[in-house]
Amino acid sequence: MAAAAGFDFRRWRLVLLGGLLVGIVLFAAIFAPWVAPYSPFDLDVTQMLQGPSAAHWLGTDELGRDVLSRAIYAARISMQVALLAVSVGLVGGTLIGMTAAYFGGLVEQALMRAMDLLFSFPAILLAVVLMASLGTSVLNAMIAIGIVFIPGFSRLARASTQAVLRQQYIEAARSIGMSDARIIFREILPNIMAPLMVEAAVAFAYAVLLESALSFLGLGAQPPDPSWGNMLSTGRGFMAQAPWLSIVPGMAMFICVLGFNLLGDGLRDVTDPHMRE
Amino acid sequence: MTDTVIQVAGVTKSFVRGVNAVDDVTLSVARGETLGIVGESGSGKSTLLRMILRLIRPSAGTITLDGRDVWNAHDRDLKAVRRQMQAVFQDPASSFNPRQSIGTILAAPLEVHGIGDRASRAKLIGETLERVGLPAATVSRFPHQLSGGQRQRVAIARAVIMRPAVVLADEPTSALDVSVQAQVLKLFREIKDELGLTSVFVSHNLAVIREVSDRVAVMRHGRLVEIGTAERVFNSPESDYTRALIDAVPDPFRRFRAPVELESGS
Repeated sequence: MAAAAGFDFRRWRLVLLGGLLVGIVLFAAIFAPWVAPYSPFDLDVTQMLQGPSAAHWLGTDELGRDVLSRAIYAARISMQVALLAVSVGLVGGTLIGMTAAYFGGLVEQALMRAMDLLFSFPAILLAVVLMASLGTSVLNAMIAIGIVFIPGFSRLARASTQAVLRQQYIEAARSIGMSDARIIFREILPNIMAPLMVEAAVAFAYAVLLESALSFLGLGAQPPDPSWGNMLSTGRGFMAQAPWLSIVPGMAMFICVLGFNLLGDGLRDVTDPHMRE
Repeated sequence: MTDTVIQVAGVTKSFVRGVNAVDDVTLSVARGETLGIVGESGSGKSTLLRMILRLIRPSAGTITLDGRDVWNAHDRDLKAVRRQMQAVFQDPASSFNPRQSIGTILAAPLEVHGIGDRASRAKLIGETLERVGLPAATVSRFPHQLSGGQRQRVAIARAVIMRPAVVLADEPTSALDVSVQAQVLKLFREIKDELGLTSVFVSHNLAVIREVSDRVAVMRHGRLVEIGTAERVFNSPESDYTRALIDAVPDPFRRFRAPVELESGS
């Protein structure tokens, strides 16, 4: 235990770099009205498809709206969708996985086979089907992406729970007379949080991509609401005349996804006891 | 002296069809007595202990604690069984939740059984820690901050904090250094005498078993090979297996004794 030995920069560098990128995106999302130079909805027909300039740092789109401002507001939608989707996946998957591992037998078989079924659909297809049945809206996109995440989280939670169940403190808890619910939430849950948080960070990145994909396909955020996905979709039509329309949302997604992936990888390295020197 | 606390009758456990980890074991433990169960790895001694503890369900047979059928107890009866019977486990590294402080760990049995309020629990935890020879500041420590011997002291504290009638111990000292082993065994015996506990003590270590037991049961391949007072079993073992087991203990005077051949097979 060399806690007093000072901050080990090397061990935390991925977390710091990822945290910085994520921090930029989160800052933009939370303070969008103050950070963005223009309203994302202001049309200016005299300024259509203008390249980057002093007035519009990242140019304007086909309706003369400021691309930087739209990209910043789009971060808001992405973060909201990802946050709710990951929460749905994390809570749902963890409950299902812990229940399956703890009770075993038929309960486990039924739950995990249902998860296999859900897992066997390609993520984007599953999301599209769910959106089609739920209707297109941002809220439904969040729920659909959340459901896509449930099987992954449930498998991780199940495997982690099985490892914890082999520990003697679970037998000790049982012989004290602890209830199943108390054992699950007080003894098991705190000991499986680390891998779940790592998975959550990676899922966050994936949620951003899925939301963009759904919006690109016209199933997520509806115009005129800006989303990186629907901005990319419009940009596709002006690839030759106005490449910044595609590059800007693309770069925004890149920064965001890279940030969350680095954060996830870094957290895994920091929390994994096998990686500790 | 025929006040039976634990009665194990015809208990069998088979994990795999045709192979009995514990095979038709019948034994009883009288009030205030310590029964030592000894046997090699895989002899079924820990499995038997876990069946008494209601952790592994027996395939056949019944286990009663103070007349209550342990495996058919429900609700209030089950609570009573749990409260009366506590355990000390083998591995001091994994028998505590690493995310909980010692205070939280020791409070858990009291909370589960609704004993006392916050203040009286804290007082009881302090007294119990003192009794097992740990400083009061241990309440705010986490398991990984304690040594193996200290953790087994906490394990004993957790087992006796509710003043149970019975404590079952599964190799509680085999993960410890020999010098620490002796201290923990001494503590175990002292507390057992103070509280008049009935106990079952499982170990592969004959010296440890001899030290703590009033009566000894020898197990092999899931079967009870012999059972009797410690003195009788150690001084004039009835079965060849017991004799071989005793003979296998390094003994400086061994060459003066007649060698014992163990028949292969059963």
